[in-house]
Formats: sequence, structure tokens, C-alpha cells
Amino acid sequence: MSHKTIKFLSITHLKGPNVWTYTPVLEALIDIGDLEDCPSNTIPGFYERLSSWLPGLVEHRCSYDERGGFLRRVEEGTWPGHIMEHVSLELQALAGMPGGFGRAREVPIRGVYKVVVTAWHEMVTRYALEAARDLVMAGIEDKPFDVAAAVSHLRELVDDYCLGPSTGCIVEAAESRHLPFIRLSTGNLVQLGYGSRQRRIWTAETDRTSAIAESISRDKDLTKSLLASCGVPVPEGVTVKSPEDAWEAAEDIGLPVVVKPSDGNHGRGVFTNLTTREEIETAFSVAQDEGSEVIVERFIPGNEHRLLVVGGRMVAASRGETAQVVGDGKSTVLELIELQLNSDPRRGNSEDHPLNRVRLDSAARLEVRRQGFEPDGVPPEGKVVVIQRNGNVSIDCTAEVHPDTAETVALAARIVGLDIAGVDLVVEDVSKPLADQGGAIVEVNAGPGLLMHIKPAAGEPQPVGKAIVEHLFPNGDSGRIPVVGISGGKGKTTVARVVTRLLELSGHYTGLACSTGLYLDRRLVEAGDRAQWDTARRVLMNRSVQAAVIENSATSIVTEGLAYDRCQVGVLTNFEPIEDLSKYYMDSPEKRFTTLRTQVDVVLPTGVAVLNAREPQLVEMAELCDGEVIYFAADPSLPVLAEHRSKGGRAVLLREGGVVLAKGWEETKLLDLAQVPMAAGGEAFQAENVLAAVATARALDIAPEVIRAGLETFVLDAAPAI
Amino acid sequence: MEVSRIRALRGPNLWSRHTSIEAIVTCSEAERFSPASSALLESFLDRLLERFPEIGLVMPAGAAALPSVAHALQFAALGLQASAGCPVTFSRTSETLDPGVYQVVVEYTEEPVGRLAFDLAVSLCQAALENTPFDLDNVLARLRELDEDVRLGPSTGSIVDAAIARNIPFRRLTEGSLVQFGWGSKQRRIQAAEMDCTSAIAESIAQDKELTKELLRAAGVPVPWGRTVADADDAWAAAQEIGLPVVVKPRDGNQGKGVAVNLKSEAEVRQAFDVASEFRDDVMVERYLPGQDFRVLVVGKQLVAAARRDPPQVIGDGVHTIRQLVDQVNADPRRGEGHATSLTKIRFDEIALATLARQNYNADSVPPRGARVPLRNNANLSTGGSATDVTDDVHPELAAKAVAAAQMVGLDICGVDVVCETVQRPLEEQGGGIVEVNAAPGLRMHLQPSFGKGRAVGEAVISTMYPDGDDGRIPVVAVAGTNGKTTTVRLISHLFTCNGQRTGMTGTDGVYIQGKRIDTGDCSGPKSARNVLLHPDVDAAVLETARGGVLREGLGFDRCNVAVVTNIGMGDHLGLAYINTVEDLAVVKRVIVENVANNGTAVLNATDPIVARMAESCPGSVTFFAADPHHPVMATQFAQGRRGLYVEGGDIVAAEGSTVVHRIPLSGVPLTRNGSIGFQVENVMAATGAAWAIGISWEVIRQGLATFVSDASTAPGRFNLFDYKGATLIADYGHNPDAIQALTNAIATMTAKRRSVVISGAGDRRDEDIRQQTRILGGAFDEVILYQDACQRGRADGEVLGLLREGLQGASRTRNVEEVRGEFLAIDTALARLSPGDLCLILVDQVDEALEHIAKRVKEA
Repeated sequence: MSHKTIKFLSITHLKGPNVWTYTPVLEALIDIGDLEDCPSNTIPGFYERLSSWLPGLVEHRCSYDERGGFLRRVEEGTWPGHIMEHVSLELQALAGMPGGFGRAREVPIRGVYKVVVTAWHEMVTRYALEAARDLVMAGIEDKPFDVAAAVSHLRELVDDYCLGPSTGCIVEAAESRHLPFIRLSTGNLVQLGYGSRQRRIWTAETDRTSAIAESISRDKDLTKSLLASCGVPVPEGVTVKSPEDAWEAAEDIGLPVVVKPSDGNHGRGVFTNLTTREEIETAFSVAQDEGSEVIVERFIPGNEHRLLVVGGRMVAASRGETAQVVGDGKSTVLELIELQLNSDPRRGNSEDHPLNRVRLDSAARLEVRRQGFEPDGVPPEGKVVVIQRNGNVSIDCTAEVHPDTAETVALAARIVGLDIAGVDLVVEDVSKPLADQGGAIVEVNAGPGLLMHIKPAAGEPQPVGKAIVEHLFPNGDSGRIPVVGISGGKGKTTVARVVTRLLELSGHYTGLACSTGLYLDRRLVEAGDRAQWDTARRVLMNRSVQAAVIENSATSIVTEGLAYDRCQVGVLTNFEPIEDLSKYYMDSPEKRFTTLRTQVDVVLPTGVAVLNAREPQLVEMAELCDGEVIYFAADPSLPVLAEHRSKGGRAVLLREGGVVLAKGWEETKLLDLAQVPMAAGGEAFQAENVLAAVATARALDIAPEVIRAGLETFVLDAAPAI
Repeated sequence: MEVSRIRALRGPNLWSRHTSIEAIVTCSEAERFSPASSALLESFLDRLLERFPEIGLVMPAGAAALPSVAHALQFAALGLQASAGCPVTFSRTSETLDPGVYQVVVEYTEEPVGRLAFDLAVSLCQAALENTPFDLDNVLARLRELDEDVRLGPSTGSIVDAAIARNIPFRRLTEGSLVQFGWGSKQRRIQAAEMDCTSAIAESIAQDKELTKELLRAAGVPVPWGRTVADADDAWAAAQEIGLPVVVKPRDGNQGKGVAVNLKSEAEVRQAFDVASEFRDDVMVERYLPGQDFRVLVVGKQLVAAARRDPPQVIGDGVHTIRQLVDQVNADPRRGEGHATSLTKIRFDEIALATLARQNYNADSVPPRGARVPLRNNANLSTGGSATDVTDDVHPELAAKAVAAAQMVGLDICGVDVVCETVQRPLEEQGGGIVEVNAAPGLRMHLQPSFGKGRAVGEAVISTMYPDGDDGRIPVVAVAGTNGKTTTVRLISHLFTCNGQRTGMTGTDGVYIQGKRIDTGDCSGPKSARNVLLHPDVDAAVLETARGGVLREGLGFDRCNVAVVTNIGMGDHLGLAYINTVEDLAVVKRVIVENVANNGTAVLNATDPIVARMAESCPGSVTFFAADPHHPVMATQFAQGRRGLYVEGGDIVAAEGSTVVHRIPLSGVPLTRNGSIGFQVENVMAATGAAWAIGISWEVIRQGLATFVSDASTAPGRFNLFDYKGATLIADYGHNPDAIQALTNAIATMTAKRRSVVISGAGDRRDEDIRQQTRILGGAFDEVILYQDACQRGRADGEVLGLLREGLQGASRTRNVEEVRGEFLAIDTALARLSPGDLCLILVDQVDEALEHIAKRVKEA
């Protein structure tokens, strides 16, 4: 049946390093039918439509590797799969997720392609692909396409599914330190590191952020009294029940005062610098609507500051801005706000805007009235009218903070008990000591937003994500446990189980995901084929696991990707095809190479690839490894070994029935194969399995005596326990 | 009877170690015992017993009459609290010098309860005096209710009790359940069953059931795994993936509506899907866990307790209706209304009725004999459920899974909800699983299970925070005395600092943390002491403990490691707050000695007989100091093989019995000016004694004494020396006869052509004490300049000056006396008359201002 449409045959989410790239992608299998006969240069107006809808495509370099390269391909003629790839990446870029990887490849069936694009999040990229299909079809059929609507929907999906900016900046900092991360929930709960070395973050909270400290920080009165006890300056204040109470309290404390709700946030219902009974009573009523109780406290003159404390150190500081307008003698206050303030492109209501739009809320109204104007009044030309004091705290002032003040805010965080805290400080000049100017700490916040430090409205962005990551993983801690990835043909499971046994013997709580089940600390937890992404992920999420052994079937690599970003040891047992990958069009030897090399690609620079020297394809992969290579071979005379050993390389060999550890030309006999029960049957493949396991154990620095003891006592039986 | 002042003594105090209410009560003549009033008082007592018979339990046996109504008030306030269930025992009434005025002291456990009980006791006595009615039941109910409101709940309470048993100090930070254990840098906090290391993220995870399940599954813990399903086909597919039997239920459903359990066939699953989808669009299929509800408590990496939880239920007898059966169950005396008893009454409310309706019963149904009728789905104690302790039965594999669950979520105190047939076998063997983990779990079911043994849960929490042998205390040195306190405090604090400890220090001029002043003014009271002990950066505390705070509120700590009493001498501030004599004062200053820890030390001045006698009150050991090793007290001390410090051959000698432990040459202690300033030598001995008691090494002590700087900037008003045009100026804050005597003695060793002194008198001293000061000076100084203090403290203009002049009458040395208005002018007047080689002692009043003024003049010169 002929058709000129683009159909999705399947969309596969490759959730880790995969046959295409190191990062998660969506792989769409599409059928373009008879569009195969219609490359882009044959469709009148297609180039024009496409380039006008998405002018940003000019930046796509594509195979010409130059600006405009992709559009040149479109002009010269290319096929819908390739165009979809670029369009979906461009749509994601427009929605705030720039960059990324893309490929479009034919499969051996006419009109069927694999289109691959970076998956920032499965749901986001899925929609981007669908929108790209619709856009390309609209271009082909000369129909309208609402790019803005597609981008805005995509943007919503990004907001819904991707990490928020605070968590995002921490994860980014972790990535730049090559720390692995796992999102544990659809929200902002993220695991950094693997297994027992992991830490967790949830926005700007860490797994060491104390729940009690958080509840203290929410109780402003308690926080204030604890801080005051330790000599940290705070505005003294009292909780009041009525407007009359408020006035009485204000007189006791001394004017001017601040009136605010006890549990409000984002500065709502907060009135500062109140001096008259009328102001105070009005403020009381508004504040009461915002929170359960109302507090009257000493007014601390100065600007609002937010100081971020991470791990006992102040790492960033921001100052509040005062929004004001200058009268022009014609416009009303409301008009001036729009003309002079809200016209600033930095102002907006999304998280991407460093400044909020200025609203004449009740507090601002009071401020304006105090200066003798009504919202509809027209201030004379040149008259400055303050609309809002301490609006957005988003002007970076990190470098200005006086060292004593930095110490004081760190103490405040310590008193409350928070490892990460946003300390709100009011002071005229943050570069001078607090005491000299009556400055005070007004609040200590748990889980502070980081946006003001990452994207300040003015001044330098601060590397707060980096500071948090450093706090969680000090002194270059990699957050990694030894991860052994095992793939190849036959023998994967056996090698995985022997290696696990050896890790357990050397004292590691080890997790194993393999084709006979999921094992934790010698116990079979779930039987069945668990050489899968999901089970491997579970092992890496487990806080008890000190070492992970993960078997990857070729099918799992092709359909799911790897569960880890990098590994300490990547093992390929052999190159024999034992799985049928034809339905994924991955059955040719070249595709098989592409599939299995994934295991070698992810070996850490400090890690090791363990390869079977008998297999030329595996030997070819040696140069793809960032770390060391240890060969194992039943035939010690292979030429590749000679070359490898001549450079001082390590190998594990079988010589005269003995397992031999080689380093360069040096050889040490470990034990006789006859002493190893699993190889007692004399099968050649079991001998290779023993060699592979020994090589892996050496790669993990397991002591020879442990290896020997482990091999001598390991019995491969039908019962799936270890 | 009139109550003129009520105070809460919140720490160890003059009267006892108990927290107490102290009131000043004035009784008329008729209200105190005399032959004339005896009959009246007897009938008062009868009326009192009539209204509150239980008062007899706390009164001395066989008392026919009491010395006064104040005494009756004492027993009434104690008795009311005791009857309301507060564990209080101490009370006392003490006469003052004013006839008919008594100090009544009554212990409390909760301040608001104590205060209310006292007020109610006043009403009771009034009612007995006036023969008006008194509603005892109502009063006791109010007290009980308030007590239940303010006292710690059972979970927090059990942890605090465990801390008390371990001698770990605690302090409530709020009226709620937030409690601080330990002091300074060793403090930890709990809030109900949460520790300060309990992670907020872990708590959020625990609240998200699906996320928790996912994480537990990753940890290999059996959970009721499941997924949402799209339709009936999918439901059956899911059931097969998960394994039968399964539960089908609406996601996030409540009250069990639309839930079908234990489904084993395709037909059942499909039918259940149809039912569930009527309630919610999202339908879940989950593995069914057969069995009963258990709660396992994990603290740290240990299983601490386990209980089986049964919902409130009745068992049919074929005769009574369900309502009657519930009434029968509720008649059990162990079932109370609140949290106080081990069981709570079954609530027969709408939820109970709805639960019955699902079983096709109503309140008036008569269930057949033996039928188990649950009245609620959940097994909470607070709604009438019961808990049976099964801790000793838990299989180690099952325990390991519960611990793994807590660890995976990251909770250090975790209530793990397990569903299985029995805890005696591993979960996997019986298809059981963990359904939920709870942060801040209730502990009552383990502390006071309805059936079975209570478990030491609080102890487990405390030992997680404080390993064995750690009591959370930092070294605390309390210093009292009439003179030398401030210098001694600063010196000890300096020794701690030299020992590498971050030190907090309180005194009359402020609170210092690591040398930084964080509070100003007189900070020698309990509040400042508590603040220092709250500060997270304090490894050791040195606390000046002035009498005012002790009288007002008691001590700010329960025990100290070292109590130093420098001297009492002739006393200071006598005549205030019923402290009239030096002996009275000694009782106040002795409080810190009485509250030395059992393994602590009192460092006492052997030459001051009143101070030396305090040794008898010390529960720990005593170190005496005196310049003269042959002083009888010292000689006795050494004869008994105990510790003492004295001066010999220009060294301070630390000896234990006949053994000289260490010698420190006074030439290496600048503060003493080669040992010439006698009172500083005493201060140095006191401080050295304290450091010795703490266990600071002699090397550090010697170094500390050598590097201690005392000048106007570090010790304002403490023997600050200046050179003014070749004359020697000494500024000091000494304001009592002993201080002035010590200063005079110190100055006597200094050579001078002519000696002058500038002095004012503080109005709050007794007349005699003011006169005494100038009487001492008159024998040592050629010229005296008197000035009027800034604050006359209630004295008439010129009154103090008059007293000072009186003291100078007949002075042996003083030839010239002058009166000046204002401190600065007095200083300037004295300075103007100095020639090189002269000596002038300025007894400053407004310390900071006066020193600044002197420094300015010295600079100008």
C-alpha cells in the first residue's frame, strides 16, 4: 500500500550509553513510505517554509560541518527522517534545551529509518519528535504549522518533566565533575553517585539536611530566639493578636517597625518601616490574611540580602533591588511602572526572568501613598517615587560581604542546624560589620532557591551548584563504587557470578544483576532474567551496595542502553552471536561490533577493559578504551598478546594447564585449572570464563590469594545462590 | 494572707536541686501560730482537710496545727500537683527576718502546672479561711489537663528519660517536643521520635508511598509491587506479571472504597477492575500480602522493637449487639481517653459504622458467637486498636529486611509496617512484605504495648546519638565569690583556650564566645549560662555565677565539673533579697558547690572560713588554695592526701598530700607582677586549681599563665595600670570592703611618694559597707577624692558622700579629702595633682567610659 506520510513504527527510549552515543536518546523507527521518492529538493517551497518556520536551523552544521550546512542539505535534497532529526532538536532548543545529538539512518527496508535524538526527558523528546513529524508533513503538504504553539507546549513539558533550575545547576556541576546521577522521582529528587557512595539531593536540600533543622527554620520565633541566644543579631519582635496589640507592641519595640505574617513567604504581606498607628493597623489586617499569626518587629534599616551558606561556608550573596519610577509630569504611577519598570526585558513571571514584574500590591500601594501619591496620580516631572523596596533579591554582591558577616551567617545556619541555608540579612552596607549599622538576620531558610545566584539580575553568577557538589563530595570524591559491566556472547553470566563471588570474598557488599536473577549480598532476591537495565539500575540505587556486577545482554544494550554512565571494568567474553537482533536490524557483524563496543566505550580512564584476545573484533576495540586493557587468552602464543605485553600490558593466560598472571613479560602462576571445580569438565569455554573472571578480579585489584580461594571453592550449580 | 512575689526557680537553687516555685507570703497575726490564734488555725486546718483530704498525704504526720497559713499553702500547692499526677515531693517554708513574712518553696515538674497549682492552692487556703466552697475535682481536672498539655509526650518523654538515666543534660527548646541534649558543641536535638540527623529528604521519601516502594524494591525488600492498569485485560496481564494473589484498588483511594483483596482468578481480577474503576480512573493492581499488621521499629541499624497491631475489634457472643460489645470492651480500666494509658477506648463513630456497614452489620447487629468484628481498618492505638509486643519473635532475616528498608529510605528512626502471617519466618517464605516506612513513628506501642513487654526504645535512640560513656557534657566551670571572680573566670577561660578548646565565658561585663563578646551588660545569671551551653561552637564553658541569678532563677545548669569560690570575706550587696548576713550570702554562693558533679571538684579558698566550710557541701572532691601551706585547713587537707595549691619560694605549688605535683614560678605569671599582687596570686591559684581538676596538662597551664594579659582592654576595671607623667595610675572597679582591702594590700607593696585615691560609693550597699570602704582607704592614702556616683540607687543626693566621709573620720593617714561632682571631673582633679613618682588609685564606676577618659588623658600627657 502506498502512502506519502511519516509513520512511527516504534519509539525506543535508550536510557543510558547506547549504540549511538553516551547519553540517553529516543530512537524512532519511522516509515516514510513513498516519500522515499520525494527528497526535499523536489518539493516546491519546502526549503522556504522550513527555513522561515525555524530560522535557527541555519546554525545546524550537519555533515558539511559549517554554518548553514544542514539547510544546504535540504536545498540539495535530503529525506524526511534526516529533516525530522534536525527539526526535533531545533524545537527542543527553542523550548530551552539547546544542543544535543541527532542521527538518521536507513535500515535494510525501503522507506524505513531510525531517527535518533537526545532525550532530555522521554516525554519532552517524544513530543518533539511528534511535533517534528507534523511540522515536516505540513512543510511537505504546504499546510500551515503553528511553531509557537508547539514550542510553548514543549516548554510546558520541559517545566513539568525536566529538573528545576536549582536542582539542574547542582546536577550540572556534578556532571562537570563526572559524578554519575540518577533521578529517583519525577520531581527533583536526584541521587548523585552510585550505591553506598551515593548522596541525595532534592532541590537545595541534601540527605544530611536535618528535618528538625527545617522545622526550626520554619518557626521564625524559635529561630530568632536561638540566634539571639548565640549572639547573632536579630530584630526583636513579638507576635500580636489584634491591630491594637500591634500598635502597642510597636510602641514597646520603638518605631519604625515591620509588620508581617508569621508563616508567609515570598515577602507577601510584609510591611516595613511603619511609623504611624494607622499604617501599623492597616498592615496588621493585610498580614493577617497572609498567615496565621502576625509579628511586629524592630525595623532594620537597609537592604535585604540573601546569603547562601553551604557546608558551613558562605558561598554566595545577593542584594534586593529597589524599584522606583521617575515622574514625567504626564503619566500616572501605574503607567510609569509599565513604562519604566516592566518594559525591562529582564522582568517577567517565568523562572527565566531574573526580575519579577512590578505589581502595585497592597504593600506597594502603602509605600506610594506614604510618598503622597495615588496609583492613578501623576507625579511631577523628575520626582522619584519608590514603588517597592527590596523587590527581587537578585543583584549579586558575593565579593562585597564583610568576612565577619560571612562568619555570622554561617553561624546562624549552624545554630539552626542546616547544612545548606539561605540566610536573609538586612543591612545598609554588606561590606561593613553588622554591629556598626544595626544590621540583623531576619530569617534562615531551608532548601533555599538558587536562581538568584545562578542567574542574578546584575553581577556575577556564582558557582553555587559546584559548592553544593563539593560539600557533598569533598576532596575529589568520585561518588563511584566499582562497577563491572559484562557483555559479549556466551559465558557472561558465569563470569559475572564468579566475579561477584570474588568481590564478596574481598569484603564488598555486592549487587549482581544477571540472567539468573538479582543478587544482593549473596542472597538471591529475584530469580529470572535480570540482565536488564531496570535491575542494574536498582543495584546502583541501593545504598548498601559497595560493588556492582552487571551483565548486559546485547538485546538490552540495543533496546535500553546501559544502566551506568561509566564503569570501572568492562568485560567482553567473546564475539559469538547468541542473541537474535535481526528485528532491531542489528544482526550484521558491523552492528554487533557497534553494540558490544558500547561496553568498552564507557570504561573510565582509571578503569580496565577485559577482552578476549582470541577475538579479532574485540582486539580491535582495545583502542576505543579510555583506560587500560587486560587480555585473557587460552592460547598464550597469540601475536596480539606479544605486542600488548611488549608494551608492559597485563594479561591472564593459560599455560600448561595453569592460570598465569602476566604483566609485560613477567608471569606469575595463580593456580592449576584442575583445581577449579567449574573448569573440571575440561570444556574450553569454562577455561575462558575462568580466565575472564581472573582478569576482571585483577582489574579490581583483588588479591591473588582471594582469587585462588574463590575459584577453588566456587561451584556452578543449578541452584541460583552464590 | 498575701502573696507578694512568685518566682520560678528553673535550676538548682538555694533550697534544693528541684525546679521550684518560690513565693513571698505574708501572714497576718491571726494566720500564724500563737496561743491566741491556735484555735482559729485548728479550725482552718479542719476546713482545709475537708476541702482537700489528700493534703494529709504530704503533710507531716499527726500535725494538729501548722505554724502558719503559709505552711498550709506550701502543702496545698505540693498536694494538688501530686494529686494531679505530677511526680513532686519537695516543699519548704522558711521564715524571714520580717515577722509574718515567709518564703514558700514548692517543687514543680512543669512550670505552668506549678504556677497554676500555686494559684489554686492560694484559692484553696482562701476558701478554707473564709469557709467558702472549693471545687476540688474541677481543680484537679484543670491541673491534669494542663499537665498533659505541657509535659512531653510519651515518645519524647521516653527518650528524655533515657537521657536522664545516662546523666545527659537536656533542655526543652519549645513548649512542644523539641529537646536539646548535651551542651555546646556536643549538643544534639530530638523532636518526638526524630533526631537532628534525621534527613528531611528521607522523610519526604517516606511520605511518597510509590517512591518508597520503588526504593525498597531496589534494596531487595519485598513490597506489594504493582502498577496502574488501563483496562480489565491489562489488569489481568499485570496480575500475571506480579504473581497471584493480587489486590485491585483505585489509586489514592480512601477508606478502602473499591478495594478488592486476595484475588486469585482471572474472573475475580476482571470483576474487581470494573468495581474499582467506578471510584477512580486510575486503578492499581498490586501483589496481595496475606497476614496481619506488624510494626517494626528500627533505630540506627538495629531492630529495637516489634509489635503486632490489631484494629479495634469485638468478638461476637451471639447475644449482645455490637454496641453492647464495644461498651463491654471499653469498660476495661486500661482503656483511657488519651495517651496516658496503654489502651484507648474504641471510638464508636461514623468510621466505625462505615466499617461495620462493609461487613453488613450495624450498631445493633448481633454477630454470631466467635465472629471477629473489626471496627476500623487501621490498627492505631489512638482509635482503640491494640499492640502486642513480638520483639523477641522476629526472625533475623525479617529484621534484616526491615533494617534494609530504613537504610534505603535513609531514616535513622523508622517505623516499618510489615504485613505477613508471622514474624517468626522470613518474609519471602510466606509472601509477606513491607508496605510502608514511617518517619517520626509513635513509640507508645513499644513503650507500653497493650500486651507483652515494654521495650527500651528511648535508650536505643539515646545510644545512637551518644555512644557509651559520652554524656554530652562539655567541661563547665562555675565561679562565685565576692572578689576576683572576673579575673579568675577570664584566666580559666584562657587556660581552656590554650588547651585548644573553644571557650564560652560569662561574666558581669558580657558573654564571650572564643573571645568575641556576643552580649553586653551583666551576664552572670542563668540565662547567659544557658546561652553559652546552647552555642554550637563551645567546647568548654566558664561561668561567673552571681548571687542575683541564683536567687532569681537558680543555676543555668544542673551540674558543673568545677565550682570555684574565690572568697566571701565581709560580703557585698548584703541586705538585699532576704540575704542579710555573710552566712546568708554563703548559702547562695554555696549553691554551685552543692551542684558539683560526683566526679567533679570544688576549688575553695582555704583562708576564708566561710568558703572553707563549703567543702562539706561538695558531692565531689575539694581542692583548697591558700598562700600559706601551713594554714590549718591546708595542713588538714594535705594530711588527708588531698589536693591543694599554695605559694612557696616564689612558686605556686600544686600538691596532693605530701607529694608536690607541680611548681610554677610566679615570675612566669605576669598577672601577679612577680607575685607582688596578693589577690592576683589567689586568683591564679584558683584558676590553676580549676584547670588541674579538668585535667589540663601542666605544660598548657604554665604556658597559659605566662601568656595571660590583663589590661584595660582585656580586663576593664581589673587592676588596670597606667603611667601618667611618671606617676602610676591604677583603675579598678572594686566596690566592697574586701576588694578595697585587697587593692590596698596590693598597692602597699608598690613604692610611691604620695598616694591618692578617687572613690564613689554605690547606693545599694549597706551604710556600714560604704563607711567601711573609706575606713580602709583612710589608713593607706594621703588624699581622697570623693565623687557622686552616676546612679544613686535609691539614695538621696549626697547621702552616699556623707557615708564615705564618715568612714574617713579619724583616718590614720588621709590628710586631704575633697568632694567632686561627676566621675570625669574627679579623675581630672586627681590627675592634675599628680607629680612623677606618685601613685593614684581610681575606683571607677562607669567602667568603660571612665577607662576611655583615663586613656585619653594618658595619651594627651
